[in-house]
Amino acid sequence: MTKTVEKKFLPDVPKKEMDELRNTVKAASLKIIADNIERMKKADPHRPEAMKYFDDIANLFGQRQQEIQAEKEKGKKVIGYMCLFAPTELITAADAIPVRVNSGWYDTSKLGDRVVPVEVCPVIRSTIGAKMIELSPFLEQSDALISVLTCDGMTKLSEILGDTKAVWGMNIPRVKDSTQSLRFWNDEIKHMKTQIEQFTGNKINRKNLKEAIEISHRATKAFRRLQELRKGNPVIMGRDAMLVNQAYSWDDKKRWTEKTEALCAELEKRVERKDWVVSPDTPRVMVTGTPMFWPDNWKLPTLVEEGNPQGVIVADEQCSGERILNDPIGVDEWSMDDMLNAMSERYLMASTCPCFTSKDGNEDRINWLLNKVKEWKVQGVVYYVVRGCMLYAMEYTRVKKALDKINVPVYYLDTEYTREDVGQMKTRVEAFLEMLNARIDI
Amino acid sequence: MSGVKDEFWRWQEYHRIMPNIKWSSKDIITAGVDVGSVGSKAAIMVNGEAYAWGITRTGSNSPESAKKALDFALKDTGLSVGDLKFIVGTGYGRVNVPMANKAITEIACHAKGANYLWGPSVKTVLDVGGQDIKAIKIDETGRVVSFLMNDKCAAGTGRGMEVFADLLQIPIEDIGDISLKVEKEPDPVSCTCVAFAKTEAMGLLRKGWSKEKVLAAYTRAMAVRMANLINRVGLEKELVITGGQSKNIGIVSRIEVILGVKTLPSPKWRDGGLDPMVAGALGAASFGKALYEKAQKA
Repeated sequence: MTKTVEKKFLPDVPKKEMDELRNTVKAASLKIIADNIERMKKADPHRPEAMKYFDDIANLFGQRQQEIQAEKEKGKKVIGYMCLFAPTELITAADAIPVRVNSGWYDTSKLGDRVVPVEVCPVIRSTIGAKMIELSPFLEQSDALISVLTCDGMTKLSEILGDTKAVWGMNIPRVKDSTQSLRFWNDEIKHMKTQIEQFTGNKINRKNLKEAIEISHRATKAFRRLQELRKGNPVIMGRDAMLVNQAYSWDDKKRWTEKTEALCAELEKRVERKDWVVSPDTPRVMVTGTPMFWPDNWKLPTLVEEGNPQGVIVADEQCSGERILNDPIGVDEWSMDDMLNAMSERYLMASTCPCFTSKDGNEDRINWLLNKVKEWKVQGVVYYVVRGCMLYAMEYTRVKKALDKINVPVYYLDTEYTREDVGQMKTRVEAFLEMLNARIDI
Repeated sequence: MSGVKDEFWRWQEYHRIMPNIKWSSKDIITAGVDVGSVGSKAAIMVNGEAYAWGITRTGSNSPESAKKALDFALKDTGLSVGDLKFIVGTGYGRVNVPMANKAITEIACHAKGANYLWGPSVKTVLDVGGQDIKAIKIDETGRVVSFLMNDKCAAGTGRGMEVFADLLQIPIEDIGDISLKVEKEPDPVSCTCVAFAKTEAMGLLRKGWSKEKVLAAYTRAMAVRMANLINRVGLEKELVITGGQSKNIGIVSRIEVILGVKTLPSPKWRDGGLDPMVAGALGAASFGKALYEKAQKA
């Protein structure tokens, strides 16, 4: 017998309305997924064979949802998370399934408006809306959520989602480079370990945690191999690489690694044949800022890579992209303490999220960007912000100054979870690409 | 006599041929077609010099508006579309200019056009279009260095001015002069959104404000908005204003006061000179010449 708990935030949507809305939005979403992939195929007429796997896994309502469901029926727990600071290796070690649940659906952000004001970041509103109509397969399958309290939006989102399931908040220190911060965060990680053990009934021991960390290591290796391939003349469209990176958030980690290695092997052969995906003089663009979640929020990379003139995205600095896997967990001793310490350090210190500050502000992010620009030969940066995303918006000034210094143009592109502004965005993006082309011509 | 000027927002469509330019079939004749959200402009250049242009109102169909503007520009020139060596489409409807050989954004074209109209000293261009405003930094060759664009909103744009012309029943051509007929500049209206500003203006009229004062308050608010955009992109002299609102002396003089700089004077378009409203189309035609020459060499 379950007791009905009073909801603090979410309205009670009548079942009939909920079903109707879910069916409508799901149908629209399936169409958008198919359309995005169709356009990606068109952008690269002889797209790598290995992308086929990722096209399938990109269907959020497809194969992966069914696999997770089957595992759940065998008794496995699913633990969802929003921010990348959730120590997913602990979830894997406890034989549960980690899956990220941030929402990229434009339509559900309108529903979220019933719960929070429109000034709130659309990633948050959209996730609330998805919950209201039970749209998101992975959010619905999650038995519990880890919510790391990064930005204001995430902090309150965890309370709102708490209306429907167990949400475990993790309190992350805002000042990153101090021993007390690290100690504090290490305690949070240890506490999360106990929490996960109790919830799953599975003990996390040296052996299974080591295995979990090694799975992540292999994934990071594959990820880095792919990014390495984007340093030279373009051999893969940015959208394809971005989809691969993001799919890691919901895919099976071992299989993702195998498939990514296969993709890299295919691409390396193309490099040998000098078989470039676009002309080597295509402007090389990096994207930074607010995360861009699949499937709806794909408009910026689409506009860049289908633009007139065309650009190619060679790198990103986003928590929906390269930040997911860039940094390995540096373990020396493989004792339980050492592994947990190494995880604490990796999740705290390596992140370039603007929720952090330190003695030099968020200098790590600046260094990442400058390094990417240099090594990946980036010719222009698009600084992407959705309205309400305060931290990214505020950090722009510093990023611009740093990029101005090395004479790399950056364009601030602000938008919303909507398709209405695509025409205007197109003018902005294309004018930026024309500007880069004119510079390259010199 | 009656009924003609009921549409106060309606600005004059016109076309012009520069009498000092002659063409022969050996010349490089190019065109730029700028399909904006409110006005469609087409310009013809002979060897990179402005020869003729036409300005029309954009209809609901971009390809037709483009054709109409181009035909208007070609009127009485003896030229036909087939004589044009290269056509560049620009503006909001640039992908829907069927006769164009290439599409280029209005940002690059206004930069190029400003450089053509005023010369290499121009470093900052404010283009006030029908539905958006753009602040563009350019180098001495007319190349874009950086730019900013307002968000999707008619505030501070030509369309907003049309709404006010209608509301106050003042012909759009006179709106700038009349906005300056106030003894003391009133505070700007507080709402930049056109819909809300209109409501606010109606309230002010009911309170007994004169039309001139209401118009001054609205124009001031728009000028502040434009000046902010220029400041954000980084004002560097010389500053020029292109697009339909470059003809609005109420806007231009207020921007100059707010920023504390003079803009380079507009060509005397009323007296047979070039027209800053066609800067984008001229820039496009100028790109057309460069692209044609590049293609000939290749």
